[in-house]
Amino acid sequence: MSDRIVQYSPSGRAGAIKGFLSKFLGYGGAQLGLLCLVFFIVLAAVPNILVGPLETAGTATGDFLAPPSGQHLLGTDEVGRDVLNMVVHGARISLTIALLATVISLILGTTIGMTAGYYGGRVDVWLMRLTDFFFVMPSFVLALVITPVVLEVMGRGREILGFRPSLFVILVVIGMTSWAFVARVVRSQTLSLKERTFIDRARVAGSSNFSIMVRHILPNLVPQIAANGALVVAGAIYVETSLSFLGLGDPLQPSWGTLLSLAQRAGAASAGAWWYLGAPGLCALTVSLSFVLIGNALDDTFNPRRRVIP
Amino acid sequence: MTNSSQDKAPLLEIDRLSVDYGLKGVSLRAIDDVSFALRPGEAVGLVGESGSGKTTTAMAIAGLLSPNARVSSGVVRYRGNRLPIDDDAAMRPHRWSETSVVFQGAMNALNPVHRVMKQIAEPCVLKLGMSRSEATARARELLELVGIPADRGVAYPHELSGGMRQRVMIAMALACRPSIIIGDEPTTALDVITQAQILKLLGELRSQLNLALILITHDLSVVAESCDRVMIMYAGRIVEDGTVAEIFANPKHPYTRLLIDTIPNPANGKKIIRPIPGDPPNLISRPPGCAFHPRCPSAMGVCATEVPGLDKFGRARVACHLHRSSQEDKVAIHA
Amino acid sequence: MPDAADILRLESIKVHFPIQGGLFDRVLNRPAGAVRAVDGIDLNVRRGEIVALVGESGSGKTTVGRVITKLAQPTGGRLLFEGRDMTSVQGTSALRPYRHRVQMIFQDAYQALNPRHTVFDIVAEPLRSLRLVKNGTQLAERVSEALAAAGLNPPGDFVSRFPHELSGGQRQRVVIAGALAVRPELIVADEPVSMLDVSIRAQILQVLIDLRDKYNMALLFITHDLPLAWLIADRIAVLYLGRLVEIGSADEITFNPRHPYTIALRNATPQIGGNPCRAELPALQGEVPSAARVPKGCRFHPRCPLAFDRCRQEEPPTVEVGSRHMSACWLNER
Repeated sequence: MSDRIVQYSPSGRAGAIKGFLSKFLGYGGAQLGLLCLVFFIVLAAVPNILVGPLETAGTATGDFLAPPSGQHLLGTDEVGRDVLNMVVHGARISLTIALLATVISLILGTTIGMTAGYYGGRVDVWLMRLTDFFFVMPSFVLALVITPVVLEVMGRGREILGFRPSLFVILVVIGMTSWAFVARVVRSQTLSLKERTFIDRARVAGSSNFSIMVRHILPNLVPQIAANGALVVAGAIYVETSLSFLGLGDPLQPSWGTLLSLAQRAGAASAGAWWYLGAPGLCALTVSLSFVLIGNALDDTFNPRRRVIP
Repeated sequence: MTNSSQDKAPLLEIDRLSVDYGLKGVSLRAIDDVSFALRPGEAVGLVGESGSGKTTTAMAIAGLLSPNARVSSGVVRYRGNRLPIDDDAAMRPHRWSETSVVFQGAMNALNPVHRVMKQIAEPCVLKLGMSRSEATARARELLELVGIPADRGVAYPHELSGGMRQRVMIAMALACRPSIIIGDEPTTALDVITQAQILKLLGELRSQLNLALILITHDLSVVAESCDRVMIMYAGRIVEDGTVAEIFANPKHPYTRLLIDTIPNPANGKKIIRPIPGDPPNLISRPPGCAFHPRCPSAMGVCATEVPGLDKFGRARVACHLHRSSQEDKVAIHA
Repeated sequence: MPDAADILRLESIKVHFPIQGGLFDRVLNRPAGAVRAVDGIDLNVRRGEIVALVGESGSGKTTVGRVITKLAQPTGGRLLFEGRDMTSVQGTSALRPYRHRVQMIFQDAYQALNPRHTVFDIVAEPLRSLRLVKNGTQLAERVSEALAAAGLNPPGDFVSRFPHELSGGQRQRVVIAGALAVRPELIVADEPVSMLDVSIRAQILQVLIDLRDKYNMALLFITHDLPLAWLIADRIAVLYLGRLVEIGSADEITFNPRHPYTIALRNATPQIGGNPCRAELPALQGEVPSAARVPKGCRFHPRCPLAFDRCRQEEPPTVEVGSRHMSACWLNER
């Protein structure tokens, strides 16, 4: 019962959001990350307006492996396509895959982590062993195993949710291999939350386990999920890039990884075509980095609150 | 003890001390114009609710104010010399060797990975320049002094009970032979019987080592049995100061009176609950005039506008318009 | 003593938590022992009665409260509510009628309120979960009624606030409002005022006493503070290391305690006007032993200044020492 300083608090939820935003945007990393992200989201949203439709070998306009010039700002590839055009279109593919994979990962990870942490005992043991399994599962191996199955089941050339089968596989694989990390974080947080007195109060109030998880535990997990979600996106972009680079991408829907793979096969590195490798590589790096910066800033923003409400 | 200590020169003098906290660019007054003197061997209780400034007062005396606190006016004198209370480095020689603090949470204040013996010996080595073996001997002596068998010194903090840990804290505070001990709610986290043991120990040590004690607590009844003098704080100011007997028998300030009434007292046999209306003020919205006037049953017009001074009544002091010394005011009250 | 008016009865309730032994013990399938948090407690609460459960930390008083509110499952004994055995009733829907009638108030109101829910949601939660209202209008009515009864006036000022926007006293009132929104017949209050500022305590106590007077609610008041128990309760039960050592009317326990532990507790409690009963007893040494190593015989004997041989051998029975005044001490036999 020592001297406390009562905190100022603008009233209600709007005030809380305002306070959060001002604190979050106070971090330089958050500003930089958001700025980069907005730039790439604009690219991904309206690629046709910015650079016209995706060029193919048939519609290619430039020389082979021409360095950057006034006409082709980022040069051209080995069949004369504009690299800028492909990178902007690649932004759409890469970001969509990463974000959708993250949604899958967060839903799976939160559900499994929260269930394991809340029920404990045998449920916890089995769910966590499952988590461990996916935690150590290399995404590349899983992709190799799943791809033929998906292709067989769906047939080549069909599209699911606008994705060609191989991209859909990448999406599912990233989602399945990254949720384990989320599940671990969510479980440990749930373990400490369920010991809190307001959970006891909810039980005395007659709330069911499901209602306690959804109404009491989940809202208090949001800070952790948000902060880690941003890191998961960064990881997803990285994994997507590397899987595509290894040849699991789809040339008809080229992501940055696919572009890197094409550049590698065209011998861009030995030909000194730095623009062909550099442009998609730098994009992937920048977007991953901005998500990491945003994730860290979110963590820093939420952390003091976690200390206030231990 | 009270009578003899009255004659001695004060050990510690706090003179018109005010401390502000800077919070989000706003300056908030935590304690306002606090003055009192502490004589050698005297035990003073500093009683108040949260936000009353009792802890800030004690931390200011020990030079342990938080970085966002600022001493805006006033001085603290120890044996006549001004203490650099807002300078952490300059306070270091004084702290622990002259003034020690016993905190509330003993578990947080002790390092969990070191044996308690080592933690008690540490200040002896650092402050008194003792050798390791001398310090260990001193630590054993201190443990026995606070009622722990010296052989228990090999224990780690988590192996001790709450009461034992608090005894270790007291032993650490005594390591450099200070003349003042500040107890910041030293028994709040303890059980009733353990609390009685610790208070008894503090009382014994006080007469044995001629220690002066400043006991910070929210519990008036703790003060009743272990202090000579009580100071009641409200919203950063001292509102009443007097001997324990005086204050409990004849409280002058309405706040003190109401506070005493809220303590269940089987001795008078009356099961009556008399709540004090309203909430304690916080630093941000301190009422003008006397800070207690919105909750005070005897508030008058002047209370809302004028801050009452801490007037002397013999040895006691009261800050209340009901007790202004001038005769007209008294007439006005009874009219 | 079965009583027609008993609303709640505990019959030799036990809560033992098994101790996870080391690897060696597990391989040999050897039980590692148990923490006997509650070790055979008989207690009854009558309709409209306020019973105080007094004890130090480790006495099991909080666990008893959790057994009654079905937050902890007893390992032995029976829990009877209006004569019906509730011991083995479990599950959200099976417990709904019981939860409707037994509610709880917590010590730390700040911890007991979900920081992300508004006051309205907090108070409405039991009404919704227990399906006690038919529509939104009725819900809003019941919520404001509960807030007003808990002293949060006008209720409209508070419904959309979050817990961190309230003072400590107001938060505890919200917890109380949540408990009484369902109009329960018994409220278990676990140290409801110990975290509050001294000047606020009396306000909260007044609210609790009003509930009894207005709605004839029974109250089990868990506290470590004997004078406070005397102030609020009709009867006081004193717990030591998972056992009731003494139970009787508030005045009997305060002015005429029979068990040495009760006397020691009285003497240790600092008191302004001096102690009304300074029964001669040396101050206790040491602290409450761990519930994992309960002493043989009377569990208080290692610290009892009056212990004699029999206390070290046999556990004393609980016997009547006055009108409705029971005590478990071998001295009563002398």
